[in-house]
Amino acid sequence: MPLEPLEHKVRGVDHAAFPTFDPVATVRFYRDTLGFPVVHSICAAGWGPEDHPDFIHFFFDIGNDDRIAFFYYFGLEPVHEAPRGDAYAGFGPDTPEFFVRSRHLAIHVDDQDDLLEYRRRLDASSWPVEMQIQHETIESIYTHDPNGYMVEFTRAMRPVTPQEDLDATLTIDALLDVVGAPEPSFGKLLARKAELIVERAAAWELEQSR
Amino acid sequence: MTALYVLDVPENTAVAKVAGQDPDVAVAKLGPYFEITADGAIVVDRRATGCRHAVWYSCVAGVGGGEIVQHDKDALRVEPR
Repeated sequence: MPLEPLEHKVRGVDHAAFPTFDPVATVRFYRDTLGFPVVHSICAAGWGPEDHPDFIHFFFDIGNDDRIAFFYYFGLEPVHEAPRGDAYAGFGPDTPEFFVRSRHLAIHVDDQDDLLEYRRRLDASSWPVEMQIQHETIESIYTHDPNGYMVEFTRAMRPVTPQEDLDATLTIDALLDVVGAPEPSFGKLLARKAELIVERAAAWELEQSR
Repeated sequence: MTALYVLDVPENTAVAKVAGQDPDVAVAKLGPYFEITADGAIVVDRRATGCRHAVWYSCVAGVGGGEIVQHDKDALRVEPR
């Protein structure tokens, strides 16, 4: 780790891009159901060394001027026939369900009113909320978009505290130590993290109080 | 000695409180962490903490001098190595 943190100059998500084979349903979902404005699109003739199809690259605003974008390729058929997965990738029976469900986009909302508003919009559509969870720190709703991509809306139940940043730092330092050694395990991570807590936690608190 | 570290955030305070109800267990602060120590085992009853599962299964920050032998819907149990 560098002694002084590198200057943090980035400004959020410009766009995260995904392929779609169903632009109609994609627009119905993001624009007409969720109310995400279409903010940009590119109509591009295929070019390049590969046999690249003509395509439309279109963008929806997901708040904060961040965007989710899609590629629709004319004439391209779905790239897999696996029973599970999404437009981008398919998974067979050997891939555990928790793994298939791990990749998702979580969109932030400010409070419960806003979360429930998106719940209402989804529940009135062809893509109703599949799961709503709430515990001490977050409340979230989940569905899959028409392309099979998992989308979450989430709100924080309380502000993040400074000590959570310290804890995250210690977790990652411990994780790098443990996965850099043979047979990493959760138990080894907790043991290493305990050592780092003893080394650094008191000094961190002193620093905070200055 | 066994040491269990739990980050001091609102949803975790009940874990430290319940752990400390055992007269053989001491609870102190080390920076922003609860340092829960005992010569023997440290046992925390989940239902007594009121923690729901997501918080319960992620409340442990570190374990020194021992290991977790039980962490399920009923209890968290750390025993000396």
